[in-house]
Amino acid sequence: MIGQTKLFAALRGMVKLAKADAASACVDAGQRLVFRFAQGGIHQDVLQERLTASITVLQNKRIGIASTDSLSAESLTNCVKRALLIASHAPPAEAALILPRRVRIQFKEDYDPPTAHANAVACVELIRKQMLRCKGAGAGLAGSLLAGSEERAVVNSEGSAAYALSSVASVKCVTQYRSLSGFASGAATSLAALGVDGVLERALRQCLHRRDPVRLPLGEYAVILGPEALAEILEWLALIAFGAKAFQERSSFLAGRMGERVMDPQLSIYDDAMEPGALRTPMDWEGTPAQRVELIDHGIARGIVYDTTYGARYDHPSTGHALFPGDTEGPMPHHLAIAPGEGSQEDLIRGCERGLFLPRLHYVNGLLNPREAMMTGLTREGAFLIENGKLSQPIARMRFTDSMLRAFSDVRGITAERRLIADPHTGSGCALVPSLHVAKLAFTGHSEP
Amino acid sequence: MPGMPKSVFPREWAEHALARAKQAGVDYADVRVEAHEHESITVENGRVRSVSSNKGDGIGVRVLHKGGWGFAATPHLTRAAVDRVVRDAIALARATSVLGAGARKLTPLEPAKAVWVSPHTIDPFSVPLGNKLDYLLWASQALMGHDAIQQATTHMDCYKRRKLFLSTEGSDIEQTVIESGAGLEVVAQQGNEVQVRSAPNSHHGALAQAGYEYVKQLDLVGAAATAKKEVLELLRAEPPRSAPSTLILHPTQVVMQLHESCGHPTELDRALGQELSYAGGSFLTPDQLNKLDYGSRHVSIVADATVPGGVGTFAFDDEGVPGQRTHLVKEGRFVGYLSSRESAAHLDLPASGGAMRAERWDVQPIVRMTNVNLEPGAGTLEEILRDVKHGYLLSTNKSWSIDDRRLNFQFTTEIGWEIENGKLTRIVKNPLYTGITPEFWGRCTAVGRKEDWQLWGVPNCAKGEPMQIMHVGHGGSYARFDGVSVGSAK
Repeated sequence: MIGQTKLFAALRGMVKLAKADAASACVDAGQRLVFRFAQGGIHQDVLQERLTASITVLQNKRIGIASTDSLSAESLTNCVKRALLIASHAPPAEAALILPRRVRIQFKEDYDPPTAHANAVACVELIRKQMLRCKGAGAGLAGSLLAGSEERAVVNSEGSAAYALSSVASVKCVTQYRSLSGFASGAATSLAALGVDGVLERALRQCLHRRDPVRLPLGEYAVILGPEALAEILEWLALIAFGAKAFQERSSFLAGRMGERVMDPQLSIYDDAMEPGALRTPMDWEGTPAQRVELIDHGIARGIVYDTTYGARYDHPSTGHALFPGDTEGPMPHHLAIAPGEGSQEDLIRGCERGLFLPRLHYVNGLLNPREAMMTGLTREGAFLIENGKLSQPIARMRFTDSMLRAFSDVRGITAERRLIADPHTGSGCALVPSLHVAKLAFTGHSEP
Repeated sequence: MPGMPKSVFPREWAEHALARAKQAGVDYADVRVEAHEHESITVENGRVRSVSSNKGDGIGVRVLHKGGWGFAATPHLTRAAVDRVVRDAIALARATSVLGAGARKLTPLEPAKAVWVSPHTIDPFSVPLGNKLDYLLWASQALMGHDAIQQATTHMDCYKRRKLFLSTEGSDIEQTVIESGAGLEVVAQQGNEVQVRSAPNSHHGALAQAGYEYVKQLDLVGAAATAKKEVLELLRAEPPRSAPSTLILHPTQVVMQLHESCGHPTELDRALGQELSYAGGSFLTPDQLNKLDYGSRHVSIVADATVPGGVGTFAFDDEGVPGQRTHLVKEGRFVGYLSSRESAAHLDLPASGGAMRAERWDVQPIVRMTNVNLEPGAGTLEEILRDVKHGYLLSTNKSWSIDDRRLNFQFTTEIGWEIENGKLTRIVKNPLYTGITPEFWGRCTAVGRKEDWQLWGVPNCAKGEPMQIMHVGHGGSYARFDGVSVGSAK
């Protein structure tokens, strides 16, 4: 951990040195300890310190952005000089740099020191314990364990200074038993809250069966998507539809449809970076406080997320969803959630006469026809056939190809329980997700000939 | 060594870290000190969207001790930080060794001393920013000027990566890699129809291990005119008919076909189950090596870290193993893996395939693709088309998906052309094709000639935990397949 005082001093120094018409500087830093394990051993382990400091300057209506991976005085000075040099050569920007004014944020509530400075020996012991549990059950185990901390600081020439410090832990377990496999993951702001034993238990339950996977005929099936599976689809919905860039390009299925019903009335999707239970982040990379944005409200297209650039284009205030400076993908929701429903996952299964239970999907892609939210992907570990309200037998891998607008237009149930799904290895945010029962999803291929 | 470029890299921290590791008595250690530079320029709708520049450096130390690996890294190049990183790496190795994996074998390696700089004529970082912006603004303007055009994007990226590798075995290797690339993308919309065209390729355009001379010869302005014409035609186009068809892949789509269905499944760490928690496994399990018919006799695929211009080209990988060219598939037979010293030793192979690469100094090297290329055949496109009564030529990847064992794949491309009686006819929109990897490659009936062979850089291959984004290369010519399931993503 570098600390608020040191980071603010470095960033204020950058802003002051720039002497620009406007400037915003930020730091993304962190430390993580990662173990990857398989076949009874740990094959990779990393203790990584990372840091990127960036400055955006506006000089004579021209913008320059530069970043560096070091906080040394020399690196920061050179970084500022490069940003100014870029601005001096750049044509006038399309809009002024609108910086959040006098924002003051200090957020440390989700910081757990034992997780930030996790002990390697204790982590290895935790992994060893899970391996022994699997061995006792006659199953194999592969997976990963991560513990670390994240620091984010933003300072600008408009008097804003925002700092957030948090810890994060995650675990993934892939269990293997005969030809079957199971998967479960967990994420939390502390190792103590991760519940590794429970995660492994869920993965084991998916694979400890005597029956081999059955190959089902292709066609439409009712499907119960577990939180991990639903989160992957949700992430793709965000990429293709919930940001202002896709909206401007009109490739978003929300473009031209605001206020219209696009999904089942039971479905409400929103982004809230400060929701309890999420990996909370109070501000974006421009220092704008993150706002809760209703994206789909009881099936009605309601909103998208903005940063200052797209906000200026649309005469809309930033919602606090800017990505790191230099990223041109436009604003993106990184704390997605689906509003909870009623009942449990068991209730959903009991309410399904014939269908599929899919705890995890693989390689979903939403670029087929974004306007219709057409997606494809595959089943992976733990997929089961549901018959007469019960999980009857594991199924062989299948590919689905369908419009998510179509699939999400007929929802049969949503659980009350939601799970935090996050992969801190990829840094792509998090989602609070229930299980979801949809009436139809089209399956178009098998994996084996 | 005569003719060797002169070293310019500061060695202080690498030598210090290696000395510390040796003092601690570890079984093996290697140290990478790296310095990176990346300039990225994006122009949208005729206006500059972003110009950004990143510079950074740091050190990563990898230790093997009593059967345990440990890796630690820091961007803080100070004596205290480097000492801490060495201590952390050793502590991790000690902690993980208790899991009882036993002594880890590495394939033998002759230590090398070398300095290598990737070939380039014009250092892209020496080119004035104004020249680059003018080029992109000009191309962006060429994309605009029609009501249906919603977004016109042009972009350029330049990379410089210097790295010094030292190991306790005596390797001392300094490499400097320069990459340059540029591209464009245009999005058009009419009613509920949205179409996209990219040039010279999707997945962020074209990227090569080369200097700015590569960007200059890309002719983005000419490509913009073609992309604009095609995207507008796509708005009015019909989708392909859903039926088994003869399929010809343009080299731009051969890239993704190779990447997903050959590159990833031949990564030996995947085949050994070490990627199960993230990317998945592989159907190319070790028992299939030298036995499985992966494709037809027309299909020979190499992992080639020596091909000029490839973004997977290097003199030495991040374990100090020389870059090499090895067959993964030879005349249809699965014959090789992308491998590391440890994974190769696991299969009792005599040497590493030289495919250990790390995105940056702050991550461990893992088995990655180099340049995974389909070797050229003999025919011209005209000759490959000649026998086709009905089929499709598909170009420029749009979506990609493949199962966790790399068998069932589905791709869509930005554009296709219907083939009738050996001739390209109408444009088709939203083309989709799907198949099972060995079945699909087994249906390969022709691969185009060397003159049409193109090498592309893919800058966004994701793998590992923490996730590493690697630049990998793929080369291929036109390739023809019979009886492929073609449809449309509507």
